Amino acid sequence: MTVIAAVNETALAVFAVVVGVTMVITYFASKRVATATDFWAAGRGLTGPQNGFAIAGDYMSAASFLGIAGLIFLFGFDGFLYSVGFLVAFLTVLFLLAERMRNSGKYTIADVLSYRMRQQPARAAAALGTLSVVAFYLIAQMVGAGVLIEGLVGIDFWLAVVLTGAFMIIYIVAGGMLATSWVQIIKAFLLMTAAIVMTIWVLAKIGWNPIDLFRDARAKSADGEAYLKPGLFLSTPLDTVSLGLGLVLGTAGLPHILMRFFTVPDGKAARSSVMWAMVLIGAFYVMTTALGFGARAILGKGGEEAAGPTGNFALPTLADELGGELFLAIIAGVAFATILAVVAGLVISASGAVAHDIWSNIVRHGRDSEREEVWVAKIAAVAVGAIAIGVAMIGGEGLNVSFMVGLAFAVAASANFPALLLALTWRRFNTTGAVTGVLFGVISSVALVVISPTVWPGPDSEGGALSWYSLANPGIISIPLGFIGCFLGTMLAREPAAERMFDELYVRSETGLGAEAGTGLTLTGRRPGARTVAATTTTTMPHL
Amino acid sequence: MTQGYTAGAHGAEHHPEIDWEAVERSPEFRELIRRKKAFVIPATVFFMAWYFGFIILAGYAPDFMGREFITDGLTVGYALALSQFVMTWVLGWLYLRQADRVFDPLAVRAREAALATGATSDRRFRRGAITDEPVTPSSTSEEVPRS
Repeated sequence: MTVIAAVNETALAVFAVVVGVTMVITYFASKRVATATDFWAAGRGLTGPQNGFAIAGDYMSAASFLGIAGLIFLFGFDGFLYSVGFLVAFLTVLFLLAERMRNSGKYTIADVLSYRMRQQPARAAAALGTLSVVAFYLIAQMVGAGVLIEGLVGIDFWLAVVLTGAFMIIYIVAGGMLATSWVQIIKAFLLMTAAIVMTIWVLAKIGWNPIDLFRDARAKSADGEAYLKPGLFLSTPLDTVSLGLGLVLGTAGLPHILMRFFTVPDGKAARSSVMWAMVLIGAFYVMTTALGFGARAILGKGGEEAAGPTGNFALPTLADELGGELFLAIIAGVAFATILAVVAGLVISASGAVAHDIWSNIVRHGRDSEREEVWVAKIAAVAVGAIAIGVAMIGGEGLNVSFMVGLAFAVAASANFPALLLALTWRRFNTTGAVTGVLFGVISSVALVVISPTVWPGPDSEGGALSWYSLANPGIISIPLGFIGCFLGTMLAREPAAERMFDELYVRSETGLGAEAGTGLTLTGRRPGARTVAATTTTTMPHL
Repeated sequence: MTQGYTAGAHGAEHHPEIDWEAVERSPEFRELIRRKKAFVIPATVFFMAWYFGFIILAGYAPDFMGREFITDGLTVGYALALSQFVMTWVLGWLYLRQADRVFDPLAVRAREAALATGATSDRRFRRGAITDEPVTPSSTSEEVPRS
């Protein structure tokens, strides 16, 4: 990484531009955000395409940008398996959850999960699911941010973590979801532009024939033919299937992604935002072919040392090779924006779980004022951010980032997804089922990752705490356990009220009748039309 | 009546003035669900099968996936991986088209029928609920049972 240390000032200047632009947005947003709907749902004023960009910005972390390119650089085909899973997952979101979330929820996934349940236990379970996912995902991102910024800019790990955390807290406390959304939109735009430029550059370098990416990469890899085959990284077939299951169902349980559907005016905008996200995310992951295989074809074995053991620095090294110092600095700036947008999305969903679910609905039984709710949300965002900074600094650079991200997806797929899906589709499902389902999902996925060989690396992948258990990805066991937990808990109790209220949730989620109205908030003001609708709806709905 | 179930002022708003059970039983709503299931269930089965077929082949048949075809360097595995992208975009587009053409008009009919048959106690609510999603006249006028 000797080249990288030399670009210090250029990279810092690019970082300053990124921070400057996002701070201007936050300033504008801070003057508009007033109500709880503004704070958590950006007033439900985003359009479908805007939310599509924001979803892409919320979803594609540094693990996508640098991690997948690195995995492909090191292991070839297996890295691309992640790209496929991360995209196909959005069909699960589109078909099963997007519109239903918008139609029946308010600010958090707990609103949907607990809609027809006893509030206290159901919200507590949903908050546990949300906070577990956010904890693992957020710490992984913070550590990743520290390592990357240290490597790319040359500032210390701890300082990089503190700065990332501080900006993330400022976006949320000052500008809520409105600022977060626009940071994510800009990040998605930057990320797509960077990927397109690099793809064209790589193709120009190898002579415009995409197939030459594979031929050159194969020639430059020590593994030869095997580089273009599955099995270099994922050597256990069952583990590959388990990973695939976790990816395709995990996205549909990520609280910060599902929360984005509350920011649009209606179900139609929710589904169109998924389509926009699928086009952007899909195009990006197709381009990881050029980024990853291209890095191998252009850098060859010589790049392996610079890319590091995880491959995370393969892409920056490629950027340096292609465009020199300035281009490397720009790519580093895009990676920084990428991390900021993701951590902001994670923290605002955690603030929803703490302030809206735990404080407002469990502790205060919904009797607090909206002002109080927003204040608690801001305090929660600061607290969650501070804890994440602390844990990332204590855990330090040695913390295994990919295992934490894998754990986040496993918990999302095993705890959040089964309970959410059954709450919306199974009349008999009840509070006991939701609680046991979430507990089964969280405990089984955490326990299976803790005993996995990822945590107990043994000689040549035969390690693990238990000799007979060698799965690195728990999905294939923990997801069925999540569903079984939901089923068993449901069968243990009868809850006529939850079954009776199923009609209400069912009709509402499918038709949008009675869906929460917005405040017509935009970055530059309020839309008068939307405001009227909100006013009409609230004044004419009698609350008994 | 629903003590412990409604979350006071801060949960998702409940609307006891609407007779949800009647709406659920209405032929319009049943038709919406029938048409939705007719699309979503086969589409979900298809994409899961196509995706897990790919994943299982990657896990258990690496040599088949590494086989090169058409031209040197292009593997079966990569071609199948690309097909997943195409499948995702095509199914997404088909769903959106189906939702615009079939599901949305049916949802509007289900809501209108529910509100028109006096399922709500407050007449003014009808205006508010319907105007929060603009409806084109052509999509609602055909064979809506208005009583």
